[in-house]
Amino acid sequence: MRPHNGRHILAAQMAPNILYTGCVLGAIGIYLLLRPGPRSLKAVGVLLGLGAMGWVFKASAEAFTGPGDRPTFFFYVFSGIAIAAAVRMITHHRPVYSALYFVMVVLSSAALFLLLEAEFLAFALVIVYAGAILITYLFVLMLAHQAPEPGEEAAQPDYDVLPREPAAAATVGFIMLALLSDTVFLGASELRPGPVPSEVTPDNIDQVGMALIADFPVSLELAGVILLMAMYGAVVLARRQIELSEGSR
Amino acid sequence: MTSLTLSHFLFTSAVLFVIGVIGFVTRRNMIVMFLCTELMFQGAAIAMVSVGRYHLDVSGQVFVIFILTIAAAEAALALALVVLLFRRRETLNAEAWSELGEP
Repeated sequence: MRPHNGRHILAAQMAPNILYTGCVLGAIGIYLLLRPGPRSLKAVGVLLGLGAMGWVFKASAEAFTGPGDRPTFFFYVFSGIAIAAAVRMITHHRPVYSALYFVMVVLSSAALFLLLEAEFLAFALVIVYAGAILITYLFVLMLAHQAPEPGEEAAQPDYDVLPREPAAAATVGFIMLALLSDTVFLGASELRPGPVPSEVTPDNIDQVGMALIADFPVSLELAGVILLMAMYGAVVLARRQIELSEGSR
Repeated sequence: MTSLTLSHFLFTSAVLFVIGVIGFVTRRNMIVMFLCTELMFQGAAIAMVSVGRYHLDVSGQVFVIFILTIAAAEAALALALVVLLFRRRETLNAEAWSELGEP
């Protein structure tokens, strides 16, 4: 993904109105998806959200003309999967499904890293996030949730089904998105690209390793200390015994 | 299809971050709230790696390695605390703790 000569065209032609309209439509779509409502409203929400995203992507693609030098098809597919899985994650009423949809977000984000030629990070993300952190989340979810008996109604508790202030959340969130994407589309062209290296670059994992040891040794040591503190804190916290009430025995 | 610019990746990362924000503010299950902070981490990670790639500098990826470290540490401690809180009030509802007095 080399910086393109015509990138100032993007800043001039990408009208903010397209962006803001897309954000408004996306906010309405997310709001319809968050509330527990009839299926027809949720279908409308999905269509609005997809339409808004597609519209903004298409408008950004049309405002920029230039030779293709990177498989953009894979970018659209994987970022579409990531965004759809993220939306499904925050709107699903069962927490275990939220965790599993987050695994899908992590996998598509790893695919985006592969597009950006960051292979080590893609594999590290899958191993650490999907393999360790999400497994921990799933274990704690299964500890904290009792499955309903076959006889009683399989109803989720109130705090899982009903969202808290979905209208305000969708509004504030998409105002934030309008601001963020505003600076993206009207400011990313101002970034001066770095110097292109003249010699052959080593593999990605060699580069990352050398940068870690040569440029960031103190941060590396501090990261190890942070992990040690986290392990220590988790052991201390888990050792405390709390008296359970009579009803839960 | 046209060429892929930095703005595409930054827009994706912004959308993921904002969806994480909306989920964090909206959901009341404590564990799902922490999952939404992890989603915000994902958005920031994509932004960092893409800007690092734009400048042909590997520092963006190094920073994401540190994000992974902090996310792992935060997940361990947050889940330990959530388990303790769950044992106190028998519920994962964040609003059970809206008043911090003794029950």
